[in-house]
Amino acid sequence: MISLLNKIINEIGLSLLFLKEILNTLFKTPCKSHLIYEQIWNVTMESFATTALAGFFVGAIMTVQFTLQMNEFGALGYLGGLATSGTIREVGPLLIAFMLSGKVGAFTSAELGTMRVTEQIDAIRCLGANPIQEIILPRFLGIIISAFFLLGIGLLMSILGGMFLGSLFAGVNPEEYVRHIPTILALPSIFSGLVKCFCFAVVLATICTYKGYTTTGGAKGVGRSVVSTAVTTMICIVVFDWLTSYIADIVIRTIQESA
Amino acid sequence: MFFLKMSLGAVQGLFQKPFRKNEILQQLYFVGNGSLLIIVFCVCFAAVVTILESSFHMKMVIQNDSMVPGFAALLILRELGVVVTALLLTSRVGAGFAAEVGSMQVTEQVDALKMLGIDPVQYLVSPRLIACILGSLFLVIVANLTCLFCAMLVSENMLGYSAQMFLTSMRRFVSFQDLIFAMIKGVVFGTVIPLVSCYFGFFCKPGADGVGKATTQSVVFSSITIIVLDFVLSYTFSFFY
Repeated sequence: MISLLNKIINEIGLSLLFLKEILNTLFKTPCKSHLIYEQIWNVTMESFATTALAGFFVGAIMTVQFTLQMNEFGALGYLGGLATSGTIREVGPLLIAFMLSGKVGAFTSAELGTMRVTEQIDAIRCLGANPIQEIILPRFLGIIISAFFLLGIGLLMSILGGMFLGSLFAGVNPEEYVRHIPTILALPSIFSGLVKCFCFAVVLATICTYKGYTTTGGAKGVGRSVVSTAVTTMICIVVFDWLTSYIADIVIRTIQESA
Repeated sequence: MFFLKMSLGAVQGLFQKPFRKNEILQQLYFVGNGSLLIIVFCVCFAAVVTILESSFHMKMVIQNDSMVPGFAALLILRELGVVVTALLLTSRVGAGFAAEVGSMQVTEQVDALKMLGIDPVQYLVSPRLIACILGSLFLVIVANLTCLFCAMLVSENMLGYSAQMFLTSMRRFVSFQDLIFAMIKGVVFGTVIPLVSCYFGFFCKPGADGVGKATTQSVVFSSITIIVLDFVLSYTFSFFY
């Protein structure tokens, strides 16, 4: 038990040190922007359809569940607002980020891990280049930007899915559904959803580059680091989900009290 | 096509001799014991967030949060507990299966099995299938109960509901059939995960790249299947409430 705890704390510290090294490189060395654009394009194109599909169904599920509960109170008018608000603030970012950790995270750590075990990273260092600047930094920034964008797309698709199911299952026509969104979904909610998306993107990018970069032990090691990337990312996403909700709650309360 | 054949073969293999008890127990240990801690941990945090968010929404719509316990319990039992468990299982267990079967395929161990007259589907897929079904069934129950317990603790400490109030309010919204439906969902997802990951493992392209790609694909495909199936099942169950 103690050794497990020790290992966890060790891992957290090492990944934070890795993050610090990436940020150091980002601010101290010239940025190779064409590499970043390439990564953004790759990641976005590869995961666009998956994320959109997942977002659509997440919205649909939430609408079905909220309809069942709203029916008991006879408050179907609130359906659009509540389902959208629930999805954007909480369930949407969480489930879509889970999806992305399987797709983007696993792919990147497999790629970097293969590079590491076939000694391509050492080769770059031999050529006198900084592997963090050449390989890690473009992926890190690319994943953050495109994951943020993809999460946003997923959330938009979830509104669409909710609207569709609202008219199909609950008999709330789309105009009515959309009209009630602004009554519940205030600006702070959207903002907290976006902050969540950004946090998840940073977590995802840090963990998958760290796990891939520190792979050891041949082809088996690559498999191991892929699995541990997916699991660690999910755990961290859940923890950060709680953390951002908690902080957002405090912030909103403070604003309301001062107003 | 091969997918259907493999699924049928795996189900058939369960009722054929030899019955691989040790293998099943080993896989059950991998699925159940290995994932228990992670799932319980994640589900606890999900419960905290659910309670806080439902309280936020309740206050907005009906000005007080008296129905939070029931509302949150409903959300947890019907959706969150099962889906979070299934997605975590996908990335841990599914990826493990795909990598294992994929590297066996790449190193020609699957062909060796065929040469020895052993049906690889019955040898590899059947034990994993039954282990994953049982494992996810138990994990779903544990996850749901932990999630509810955690929600109870949070609402006691942060919103000021006593445990009794929580349970009374919960009983008005959810009933035992919700847990049954969650278990059905768990069984369905537990069937999907090993079948999809073993399928991608069998069709793994040669080389280390191929194994990595098969793993990624299996995780993505099973996650999407789980979300879509979750929608279908929720829609179906909504006629029984």
